Amino acid sequence: MGKRIMVVDDSRVVHLQIEKVLEGTDYEVVACFRDGDNAIDQYGFVNPDLVTMDIIMPGIDGLETARVILEEHPDAKIVMLSSLAYDDTINEAKALGTKGFIYKPFDREQVLSVFDRVLGK
Amino acid sequence: MDRVMRQEELQEVFDQLLRDAMGKLAGIRLARLETAPSGDVCTVWVKFERGFRSSLALCAQSSVFTRLTQFMTQLDTVAPGDVEDVTKEFFNVLCGQICSRLYQETKITSRFGIPAFCHGRYQGESLKEQFTLCYSSERNEYTELIHQIPAAE
Repeated sequence: MGKRIMVVDDSRVVHLQIEKVLEGTDYEVVACFRDGDNAIDQYGFVNPDLVTMDIIMPGIDGLETARVILEEHPDAKIVMLSSLAYDDTINEAKALGTKGFIYKPFDREQVLSVFDRVLGK
Repeated sequence: MDRVMRQEELQEVFDQLLRDAMGKLAGIRLARLETAPSGDVCTVWVKFERGFRSSLALCAQSSVFTRLTQFMTQLDTVAPGDVEDVTKEFFNVLCGQICSRLYQETKITSRFGIPAFCHGRYQGESLKEQFTLCYSSERNEYTELIHQIPAAE
């Protein structure tokens, strides 16, 4: 059975880009949310294998969203997906318990390599 | 140790990252020009909210943003809403790269807000232009990157 991916990013183009890079793989995008509040509300219902999380979003940002989801679901596997790729942000994300960081702009190999590592494939 | 960047250094960083991002992400080659865009233009901009107190705006002829959207989505026909969404995402990536480069140079952590998009040329309230980098694309379309700082400075 394929692994279920939840995408949290305010840009629809990122949803499409992720769906595209996952075409023909064992991963399937099962839910997309454009803000942190919805992602927090729906996480339990979607129950994905992995979440990709943008940082800069309307309302609460991706780091805060990840913090809340991990507080409620400590086993959640969250990978940050952002263009803010410097030490402070990466360390902050790691300290929260997120499992990886994918830098925008991303490519297929980068995404699959992180997903495979996080999901132990 | 924190290091202050000279305006010329800042211009060089912005210029290099903009041209690189436009080439790789949008398939648009830019060359430096001395004149500003006019006519049917749109602007996408952000405010830096932490670290640096400034605003960065990318103003270009609408056709630049349409081509950028077509390239990034791999679609021939794009709706105005797509152009706005994709342009904002492009600028989000560019500004992230700028923040990362500025962090490498100065060790100052900066963050920026959600990119905003409008038709016409944006001039932020209480802001003044510090410098503007002007470009022409390989199709002679105008583009400019505007760095604005608080008017009081």
